[in-house]
Amino acid sequence: MSRQALHTFTRGTVCGFRRETPDTFTLLLDLGDGRTPAEFMPGQFNMLYAFGVGEVPISVASSGREKQLMHTVRSVGRVTSLLAALESGSSIGLRGPFGKGWPLSEAKGRQLLVIAGGLGLPPLRPVIAEAIAEPDRFDGMKVIYGARTPADLIYTYEYPRWREADGCDLLLTVDRGGGDWKGNVGVVTTLFPKAGIDPKSAVAFICGPELMLKFSILELTKMGIPEERIFVSLERNMSCATGTCGHCQLGPLFICRDGPVFSYPRVKGLFPREGV
Amino acid sequence: MTAMHFTALKGSIQRLIRNLQDLGYTVVGPSISEGVVRLRELDGPGDLAVGVVDVQAPGSYALGGEGRLLFSSVNGPDSPKGYLHPANVELSKLVDRGSGFELVSGFRPGRRYAFFGIRPCDLRAVEVMDRTMLVPGFEDHVYSALRKDAIFIVVNCTRAGENCFCASMGTGPGAESGYDVAITELPETILIDVPEDNTALFQGIELMPATEEEIRTGREMVQLAAERMGKRIAVQNPSKRMYAALDSPDWGKVAERCLACGNCTMVCPTCFCNTLIDRTDLRDGSVSRVRIWDSCLSRDFAYSAGGNPRLQRTARYRQFVMHKFAYWPDEFGTYGCVGCGRCITWCPVGIDITETVNGVLTDKRAAVKGMEAGAVV
Repeated sequence: MSRQALHTFTRGTVCGFRRETPDTFTLLLDLGDGRTPAEFMPGQFNMLYAFGVGEVPISVASSGREKQLMHTVRSVGRVTSLLAALESGSSIGLRGPFGKGWPLSEAKGRQLLVIAGGLGLPPLRPVIAEAIAEPDRFDGMKVIYGARTPADLIYTYEYPRWREADGCDLLLTVDRGGGDWKGNVGVVTTLFPKAGIDPKSAVAFICGPELMLKFSILELTKMGIPEERIFVSLERNMSCATGTCGHCQLGPLFICRDGPVFSYPRVKGLFPREGV
Repeated sequence: MTAMHFTALKGSIQRLIRNLQDLGYTVVGPSISEGVVRLRELDGPGDLAVGVVDVQAPGSYALGGEGRLLFSSVNGPDSPKGYLHPANVELSKLVDRGSGFELVSGFRPGRRYAFFGIRPCDLRAVEVMDRTMLVPGFEDHVYSALRKDAIFIVVNCTRAGENCFCASMGTGPGAESGYDVAITELPETILIDVPEDNTALFQGIELMPATEEEIRTGREMVQLAAERMGKRIAVQNPSKRMYAALDSPDWGKVAERCLACGNCTMVCPTCFCNTLIDRTDLRDGSVSRVRIWDSCLSRDFAYSAGGNPRLQRTARYRQFVMHKFAYWPDEFGTYGCVGCGRCITWCPVGIDITETVNGVLTDKRAAVKGMEAGAVV
């Protein structure tokens, strides 16, 4: 029976819980059925199930090189607020992995731009991990990440390691500064001119709110990066994750099955477009 | 294999229904319930709606008097979808035994369905569902299990309903393939097409080889129904032009009338959208994972943490129609509409999908931003 089947769950036992921001947390899960994080590709997602309440689609934040499956979740609804209350040793159900992930092979030998806004960073974390583990696969990596405020930045404990890694630059920005924030203030696109982007080489992987995607695409294409080298991860309501429930449709595309990662030309015209 | 044509006495349909039951099928056919011809499980031939005429109009349905033919009514609100992709189906039952939850039971099909007296458009709708529900690698196990044993005894239409437009969709009024038996009711007899030797179905029924004239008469009666059909989609293969009409202001004009009730999607024989919900049982602490139909007309259908892309009713109505006529061909290689007309009949305000599609396709002001025309939430 397929692991993707609607009624088959893998057990995930919570072995680590980290609070990232006031409303966002990270779960580390030990998987049942002898499964390992290596089965989950960067950019794919899982349906996390709270018994008796329901499921939510959450991106895979761990790399296949790590021992535990990692999910970073913002507590916004019924299911996610229950997940926020999980303790070490408690278990949840998991279906997945689903969807098509980041096409790392498209970035081979090229400059890798990892551009994230807010909670768009978790699905890109395994990409960063891959590039750090095998720096020779790419011609350098720029991680460009923006959040609303300094308190909303996630994975801050990993920044020192990212900054030290061969060929990796980390550029941060916030919409509103304050406190002892001395970094950039402004939307992510304000970092583009400072990032040392090489339009001839760059391949961009972008995830974040739709407006942020829209303006990032606009600026990158203005810099001369062809649309075929821009990849975006899209978010929609999901119930089944198998292309049967209809919730995630964007025009003729099922985000769960055809995406969530798309090359920009594939979704251009449908996204971003009001009401589609 | 070439079809075999027979004629039989009209009364033999009773025996045919009993034969299907003897073969272990649950026979589903048109049956009158509360003044409407529904598709129901038939206890026997006596439950079949015979000789009754339905009168349909946008937003209106009534039974009106006796017809000369056994199969005088066309489509009611139900289609095989209700049986093959049930509106409410338990996918699994889970219990928490303290150390985490466990699967107690999964879905098991309990019925082999024989659809008796369904119309050609509904047969085509099943073929459409085959494409949506059986995508290789993503086969829906419920649909797959119910579909594989189902058989179809289709009745070709010799009268078009007032809201029918199957002829322009190429899905009727005669069935061309995919059936186990096709019946055309002639004035005095029934003409039976059987694509293969299926004698078990006809045990005890005297079949006479059909004459050329009887076959021709049957074809002419079906052809006449096509010619008399009052509604149509005016453009052949409209998918590409529908994309271009995304910004027509007509969407907003129609959506001002739309109540976003979702009736159109419930009665549609191909609409497949659904939602998984958990039903908890306080008696034993068990949880049923239940799949229920959902509708893209519902306000929160597309809602996610990132926002609601179709908060405007205009956007939701447009989604319903664009899906049928533009997106579906790109997704599944077939149109999502079979021209059954149900969404017109059962719309409480009588919105006519043929008027919508023909309207946006002929709209010359499509360059004007349609979404601004009707910001109806």
